[in-house]
Amino acid sequence: MNRRLRNALKGLTAPDDDRRRRAMEPFVRETFQMFIRYLYRYLGNEVECEDVLEDVYGDIWEKPDRLRDVENERQLLRTVYLYYMRKRLREVYRRMNRHLYLSQNDLTNLTAPELGTLDTMSQSELKQALGRALGRLKARERRAIELWLDGMSVRAIANELKTTVGAVKMLKFRTILKLKKMMSEYCHDQ
Amino acid sequence: MADTNRKIQELLSDYAGALRDGSLPVFLKSLTRQEGKTMTCSDDFWEAAQVVRVLNGVGFADKAATADVGLFASRVDANIASRVKKAKSSPRARRTNHARPTTRTRKAEKPI
Repeated sequence: MNRRLRNALKGLTAPDDDRRRRAMEPFVRETFQMFIRYLYRYLGNEVECEDVLEDVYGDIWEKPDRLRDVENERQLLRTVYLYYMRKRLREVYRRMNRHLYLSQNDLTNLTAPELGTLDTMSQSELKQALGRALGRLKARERRAIELWLDGMSVRAIANELKTTVGAVKMLKFRTILKLKKMMSEYCHDQ
Repeated sequence: MADTNRKIQELLSDYAGALRDGSLPVFLKSLTRQEGKTMTCSDDFWEAAQVVRVLNGVGFADKAATADVGLFASRVDANIASRVKKAKSSPRARRTNHARPTTRTRKAEKPI
């Protein structure tokens, strides 16, 4: 953890309200990119990410106790997700629940899940793990995922791979499960 | 007409698409009762959904157009200011700031 972030955290956990408020700006500057990227995983929408994050920072200012013993960035991200982000993420879709054929539990699992092994990895670690896992896939499977990551639709991928939409969906599903297994293995090795 | 009985791989594909496009509510609303049950019963779906979120973070979060940090910090400060104002003006806060009235206890006292 860099010195500025450590100082900001120290200021955030101070008993004095004004000092905490002054410490918020450097804290936001140091953590904004990290937090917004993390939230993007769950929302995929910049506007919603910023709205949620604004409330998250407000909550941190109000009750910063959870951050008192944080020692590194990974721990910070984990703590902020578990105690501040999850609550706000749940609220985003809570109002919709009465119109959905999905139980409250499943909705929570989909929009603000418990932390799995992959969720605790940093962005750079994930990129590394994903790169390795992609390298171990068959050419066709890798191509399907790469095209997907390039932003292509399923139909466009089907055209590219000269197959049907249904076959691409099946291929993607199986490949993603394969990726999950490979990345989990990578996590345990590390 | 939209497909109302999607298989698990189709549901995952649609979930991944919705997450990538930032339109998760559309996907959630499109689910039928049967599809909801299919999702609930499938462990593979939840395993795969975890990877889909990771792919979303790794593949697309860097490309997201986020606000300027300075502007965002002032938004956060305004949020905090409004919380402070709300806390000061709420009746609960006012009650806790002052000592409780002692009239009740006095009433209970027996006259000598």
